[in-house]
Amino acid sequence: MRFLLALFVLLAPIAARAQQLTVFAAASLTDAMKDVSTQWTQAGHPPLRLSFGSSSTLALQIEHGAPANLFASADEKWMDYLAGKNLIAADTRKDLLGNDLVLVVAADHPQHVTIGPGFILLAMLGPDGRLATGDPAHVPVGIYAEQSLKKLDLWDAVAPRLARAADVRSALLLVERGEAPAGIVYATDAAVSKAVMVAGTFPANTHDPVAYPFAVTKTGDTADARALLTFLVGPEARAIFVKRGFKVE
Amino acid sequence: MSLSVRLHHRFPSIEIDVAFDTPSPGVTVLFGPSGAGKSTIIAAAAGLLRADECRVAVDGRLLSDTASGTWLAPERRRVGLVFQDARLFPHMSVATNLRFGLRRAPDGRVLFDEVVALLGIEALLDRRPHTLSGGERQRVAIGRALLAQPHLLLMDEPLASLDAARKVEIMPYLIRLKTALNLPVLYVTHALDEVARLADSIVLIEAGRLLASGSAAEISARADLPLARRDDTGALLPCRIASHDTDRELTLLEGGGAAFWVPLLDSPQGSPCRIRIPAREVILAGKPPDAISLHNIVSGTVRRIIADPTRRSVLVEVGLADGALLSRVTQDAIARLALSPRKPVLALIKSTSIEVLAG
Amino acid sequence: MPFSSNAASRLNNLLLSPEEWEAVRLTLVVAARAVGCGLPLAVLTAWVLTRYRFPGRPVMNALVHLPLVLPPVVTGWLLLIIFGIRGPIGSLLYDWFGVRLVFTTAGASLACAVMTFPLMVRAVRLSLEAVDPGLEQAAQTLGAGRFDRLINVTLPLASPGILVGAIVAYATSLGEFGAVITFAANIPGQTQTLPLAIFTALQVPGGEAKAAELSLVSVVLALIGLLLSEWANKRLNAVLGR
Repeated sequence: MRFLLALFVLLAPIAARAQQLTVFAAASLTDAMKDVSTQWTQAGHPPLRLSFGSSSTLALQIEHGAPANLFASADEKWMDYLAGKNLIAADTRKDLLGNDLVLVVAADHPQHVTIGPGFILLAMLGPDGRLATGDPAHVPVGIYAEQSLKKLDLWDAVAPRLARAADVRSALLLVERGEAPAGIVYATDAAVSKAVMVAGTFPANTHDPVAYPFAVTKTGDTADARALLTFLVGPEARAIFVKRGFKVE
Repeated sequence: MSLSVRLHHRFPSIEIDVAFDTPSPGVTVLFGPSGAGKSTIIAAAAGLLRADECRVAVDGRLLSDTASGTWLAPERRRVGLVFQDARLFPHMSVATNLRFGLRRAPDGRVLFDEVVALLGIEALLDRRPHTLSGGERQRVAIGRALLAQPHLLLMDEPLASLDAARKVEIMPYLIRLKTALNLPVLYVTHALDEVARLADSIVLIEAGRLLASGSAAEISARADLPLARRDDTGALLPCRIASHDTDRELTLLEGGGAAFWVPLLDSPQGSPCRIRIPAREVILAGKPPDAISLHNIVSGTVRRIIADPTRRSVLVEVGLADGALLSRVTQDAIARLALSPRKPVLALIKSTSIEVLAG
Repeated sequence: MPFSSNAASRLNNLLLSPEEWEAVRLTLVVAARAVGCGLPLAVLTAWVLTRYRFPGRPVMNALVHLPLVLPPVVTGWLLLIIFGIRGPIGSLLYDWFGVRLVFTTAGASLACAVMTFPLMVRAVRLSLEAVDPGLEQAAQTLGAGRFDRLINVTLPLASPGILVGAIVAYATSLGEFGAVITFAANIPGQTQTLPLAIFTALQVPGGEAKAAELSLVSVVLALIGLLLSEWANKRLNAVLGR
């Protein structure tokens, strides 16, 4: 009897690990996914392993063999990238969430602006201030920001004034710490931080819709992974996302 | 003028407790076996060791005194130290090494060219320490210490790490220094021939205690000290060349209140020198012998007779008019001659047995 | 001559684009400043840790080694907290001197200096401890005070180890990423050093070729540094008679 117990104790972690799911999610999903993970565990499943970062970085990691079961990107581009390499289970791909692009400033220097063509962004930055956002070369929030700024005829003036962060949370940190007078992040990120406030929202027609496609990866395609995706689409998860400020399809 | 040292320090294994005053200028040799405490005294004098109780004064100038709370840091003491291992700075040339102390010293009488000439190191000035031989390194080390214009020169077994040939090579330079400098020197050694050649005063240390201190002539002629039990022991007498007899190829020396014939010397009449008379070469007689080759028959008085059980012999202190000799004979000889303190006796010494050392 | 300068600039463009040359230049500037500013402080710190016993010594030692054990991003974040415009030191720098560190080359240099500081201190400590105390005693008896001995005896004798510290710091700065990108962010021309440029290139699909090019440049820079240090080491040892 004791022998069996010992064996069970020894093997249980291995067994548990076999069922533990790994989720690669865009940085802007950090708080929402943590809440969902808590719900998932309370429902009796083994805890999720969550890895957050820029969608670009995560996609490339998956491409090079990182063991993710689920990928949640902050734009279609990076999901398309993996789909093109046949690395996702195409039938599981779902556009789950949406978001708004906002301009944030430090909470102790509140400002409100109406965001339209040629708005006072440069004045807000002052003579040597920088605009913090994700690197437009690859980070989704930066890509959206570039689209909007181009539409608003501000890109040429603002491009040299960018502080290119590795992901949206780093950009947020720079505005929180007062290093950058303003930053472009998602509405959900601004909601999380008490140290920033939303100065204005970028009109939805100035950039591609911010979509969050979710998909199960080819190499991580298991029954449990699909079950997780189903949970993410379900009512409990939706409530969490809404509470966090995401737009739900 | 004097060098005054009082030292009391406890180590885990030994306690050092010494006090002595020696005349200054002049070379005072600290003599004793290894571990006796000689290097501790040097370290305390230099300020490299803070002793429990210590008082060091050079010609009245206090270097440290625990009683009054005086303590000068080594760099402020103007005390030169020549270490056993030279300790030349490897990243500087010989010339830069020599000038190291000179640069940091207030003006003094010791000049660069003079020291270089005295120690014979002109050819070495541009060389690096690691290219020099042991003897050359020590000469540079001595020069470096001197050029720092010290008021006191400490030498801690400076020849101990040299081989016999190098020691012979360097000794003339040390003797030249002795005559040229007007400095108090404290010289640590356990080699008797360095004592013989260099000491004006001797301080005997054993197991952390002072055994005796006095002039070289005095200490070397005492039969009761461990010094006397050495094989090569013998009295040191300061002398003066009285005259030369070129026909007989002999020189007459005067010292200790007596006269000694030695084989002809080159130095001029009147020059000072020192002689060492090994105790084993001194024969004692009750009356002058007939038809005998030796030249020196010196009258004296027996002062003390002390047995040396380790060598189954006896040491006799023979007092002269102004000095003393040591003689090593057998107990049997003492009985046959019926010698005892205060009895007159003749000391017979071959002229060729007397070692003449430079002044 | 217009023709040859044209040819030169075309050759330049074949090798690397202007932005890439900018990254190279920036990397060298950052590494040089990191070593130049960090090394004297590292020597002083190593000296204090080696020669003095004081109550807070273990704590100081631990603090010095902190960047070695923390993830670089955490170090970068701590730098942001302390040297950012709202941080205790950063706010003073801004109020008194108008100096901002975040987003600047100076900031990138600071991040590299902090990351390489423990390595420099270790190298210098080892060589300080190897200096024969007998030589310092000899210098004392020749009239040299504490600072005099440090400058004229101890440091010259410890110089090979100090050189090692400098080279290690240089090489590490060439590759420092996490702390730089977190504290100084990625700004071409200001803070985009080679590691950041390589990272960015890798994030963009098809950027592998560029990343490989830049990595090669990195390797070349490191090799040049190492060769220079070998030569300097030989010269030093000749002077020291070893």
